[in-house]
Amino acid sequence: MTEATTSSSAKVKRTFKQTFAFPKNCVYRPLRQIQNMERNQKLPPEQPTYFTLNAPPSLRPAKKYSDISGLPAPYVDPHSKLRYANAEEYASMQHMPSDIINGYLTVRGYTSAVG
Amino acid sequence: MPAHKRVLVIDNGSYECRVGWHDSKEPELRFRNVLTKPRKDRKKDNNQATDALALPAGTTAAQEECKGNGEIQVGNDIINIEAVRAHLKSPFERNVITNWNHQEQIFDYIFTKMGYEGKESIANPIVLTEALANPNICRRQMSELLFECYRVPAVSYGIDALYSWQQHQQQHKGVQDALILSFGYSTTHVIPVLNGRMQLEHVRRLNVGGFHIINYLFRLMQMKYPVHLNAITSRMEKLVHEHSHIALDYQEELLKWAQLDYYEAHIMKIQLPYNPVTASNALLTAEQKQEKRRELALRLLDIKNRREREKLQEDEEQLQLLRKLRLLYEQQKMQKFERALQQQQISNLEELDKLLTTVQSRIKRVKERASAPPRPSKQQDKLDKMPKPPEGVPQAQWLAELRGKREELMRRKQARQQQRTEQGKRHTHAAQERMRIISTLAARSEKRRKVNNGDEEDDGFGMNDNDWDVYKRINRYNDDSDSDAENEQLLEFEKILNHYDANGDDAQNAAMQALNAAENYQLHFGVEAIRVPEILFQPSMIGCSEAGLAELIAFVLKLFPAEEQQRLADHVYLTGSCAQFRGLKARLAKEMMELRPFKSSFAIYESQDPALSAWLGACLQARVPNFSEVLTTRSQYEEQGGEYFKEHRASNSYYPTPKD
Repeated sequence: MTEATTSSSAKVKRTFKQTFAFPKNCVYRPLRQIQNMERNQKLPPEQPTYFTLNAPPSLRPAKKYSDISGLPAPYVDPHSKLRYANAEEYASMQHMPSDIINGYLTVRGYTSAVG
Repeated sequence: MPAHKRVLVIDNGSYECRVGWHDSKEPELRFRNVLTKPRKDRKKDNNQATDALALPAGTTAAQEECKGNGEIQVGNDIINIEAVRAHLKSPFERNVITNWNHQEQIFDYIFTKMGYEGKESIANPIVLTEALANPNICRRQMSELLFECYRVPAVSYGIDALYSWQQHQQQHKGVQDALILSFGYSTTHVIPVLNGRMQLEHVRRLNVGGFHIINYLFRLMQMKYPVHLNAITSRMEKLVHEHSHIALDYQEELLKWAQLDYYEAHIMKIQLPYNPVTASNALLTAEQKQEKRRELALRLLDIKNRREREKLQEDEEQLQLLRKLRLLYEQQKMQKFERALQQQQISNLEELDKLLTTVQSRIKRVKERASAPPRPSKQQDKLDKMPKPPEGVPQAQWLAELRGKREELMRRKQARQQQRTEQGKRHTHAAQERMRIISTLAARSEKRRKVNNGDEEDDGFGMNDNDWDVYKRINRYNDDSDSDAENEQLLEFEKILNHYDANGDDAQNAAMQALNAAENYQLHFGVEAIRVPEILFQPSMIGCSEAGLAELIAFVLKLFPAEEQQRLADHVYLTGSCAQFRGLKARLAKEMMELRPFKSSFAIYESQDPALSAWLGACLQARVPNFSEVLTTRSQYEEQGGEYFKEHRASNSYYPTPKD
C-alpha cells in the first residue's frame, strides 16, 4: 500500500492520460486473494474459471533422480535426505555445507517433518 | 466505429510484450515485460542537496537530476538489466496481471514509445491479449484502466494461443479441430478446439513454464558452483535458450550420461572470464620477497662490517694512547704521567694496565674473527636442520607422502570445524546427534543411580582414554585444543613442503597454477541440458505435484468421446516461445504414440514463429472487415460495466459475476 502512494506521487505527467487512480485496495491483489473472492461469488458450479483449469495432480509415481547430478538415484542418504546415484556423489555430499544441502532439498520441494 | 482506423495490437505476454500496428508485418516494439525502479543513491542525493544550498540558481536542475535517478525504467529502457536483475518487477503473477501500478507503468511506456506523447488521448482501438479464463476482477480493472485512464475508444480482448491458432489456420484452411499446446513463460496450456470453438471446460493449465526452467537451471548451477554466483546469473537464460533440449527418452539419455566416456565426450565447458595475472601473482611476489630479503640481509651485513671496522680503528687508537702513557710511566716522567691520567680520567696505574689488556684482547678477537673463514649463514643452518628424505626413499615419493598426510590433517580439521558450525544451528543432524548423546549419557547415569540405590557403580567408563572423546564431541565450544599436536605437525609439514616446493621448478608450478585457475573458472553443463526442460514432462522434479505434459494431454483427451479424441489428435499444434526447445516435437510424437490407441493416427504441427504468431494472429483478426463487431466500445463499457466484453472466436467466454 505504501508503494501505491509513493508511485502515485512520483507519477510523471503524460498528456494522453486522465487523472485516474485505482482504489488503494485494488492496486495489487495476489492471485490467492482473487481466488478467494471468486469462491465467494456463488458462480454456477459448472462454470469453468481460472482456478478450475489447474492441471490435475499426477497419478504416476514420481521418478527419483539424484539431487546433485540428476542421474537416476537408487539411494537416499538418511542424514541429509539427499538422493544420490553413486559412491562419488556420496563422498562429495559429506563435505557439503548444510545450506547447499538445504538448497537441493528445497529445489526438489522436499520439506522435512522437523522443519 | 470507423473501420479504417489503425488498430494497436498488444500481445501482453508475461515474458515479452509485443506492440505494433495491425497493418504492419512485425511488431514495432518488443520488450521484456518488466520494470525496475533504481534505488536512489543516497550519497549522491546528499551531495546534490548541499550543492543546491550553495548555489540557489542551480536548485531546479539539481532536483530534476535527482528525480531522473529515481525514475522507473521499463522494458528496453532498463540500462543494465543484469545489474538490477534482483529488483525487476512484473505486473504478472503467473500469467494473470495482479499489480496494476506496474501495468500502468507498462502502458505509459508502450504509449510513449508508440508516439502518443503530446496527444490528448489514445485515439486508436486496441487489441489486447489476456490470460485464458482471465478472472473477471482482472478484466474489470484492465477495462477501467484503459477506458478511464487512457480514454481508449474500444478494445478487444483475446487469448494469445487462439490468436496463434488463427494465424496457423492460414496454412491449414478448413481445419476446425485441434489440440493446441501453448508453452508460455509461466504456464503451459492444453487447449482442445472443436468445430473452431475452444472447449473451455476441458482446457487444462500446467503451472510450469519457461520461468521455472530458467529458475531451475539457475538454482542447480548456483549450488554446483557457489563461488561463481555472480557470473552465473546473467548466463542462465542464454544456456536455456541455446543449449538445452528435450530428451527423446529421458531415462535412456541419463544412463548415457552416467557413462564417464560419454560424459567426457559430450560435456560442455563454459569458460568464465578470469584474470590469469592474479593467479600467478602470489608466486611472483613470493619470489620477489625472497630477493628483497636477501638484499636486505646483505646491506645489514655491510653495515655491521663497517661498524666493526670503525670500532677496531678506535680501539687501536686508544691502544696507542695507553701505550704512550705506559711509556711515560716507565720513563719515570711522573708529573707528566699524572696529568695525562687525569686527562684520560684514569685513576691509577692498575686501572691503566687493566684497560690496556682489555683493549688488546678486544683487538685480537676482532682480528681473529675477520681472518677466520666466513661462518655458514643462518639460512644455511636452517637448510641443514630441514628434514631430509629418509635413506632409500626418493624425494618425490617422500614429499607426496607428506602431502597426503597434510591433506588428511586438513580434512580432519575441516570436518571438526564443520561439525562445530552444524552443532551451532538447530535442526541439523549434528545438533540432533549431540542432543541424543547428552540424553543417553544422562539417562545412563540416572539408571545406574536408581539400580544401585544411589551408589555409583563403576561401569568402567573412563578406563579407556577414548571414552572421554564423547565429551569432546558434545562440547559446542570445542576450540580445537585437543588438536594442538596436530596443528604443530601440520605446520611442520607445511614448512617442509614449502621449502622443497620453492626450490622446485617454479615455472612449471606457475603454469600448473594458471591451468588450474582456468579450470576453476569453468562451468560444466552436461546433464542439465536435458534435465532442466524435462520439468515440463516431470514437474515432480521441482516439487510440483501437477501432472506432466504427456499425462495432461492424456487426461484432456479422455474427457472426450473416442471420435472427438481422434479429431483432436489429428491436429496437435505447438505454439508459444517455449515450443522452440529442440526435440520437443519428437518427444511429443513419442508420448502421443504411447498414449494413443495402437495404430491410430496423429499429427503434430509446429508454429512457424512460435514467439510472434500470437501477435500476427491478432493483427489478422484486426484486418477482417467486420472487426468492429468484436470491439468493446467505451459506451458499452459504461453501460455494461468493466467485466463485459465482446466474445469472438479467439476470446474467453463472457460470464457475468453473479450479484448477491
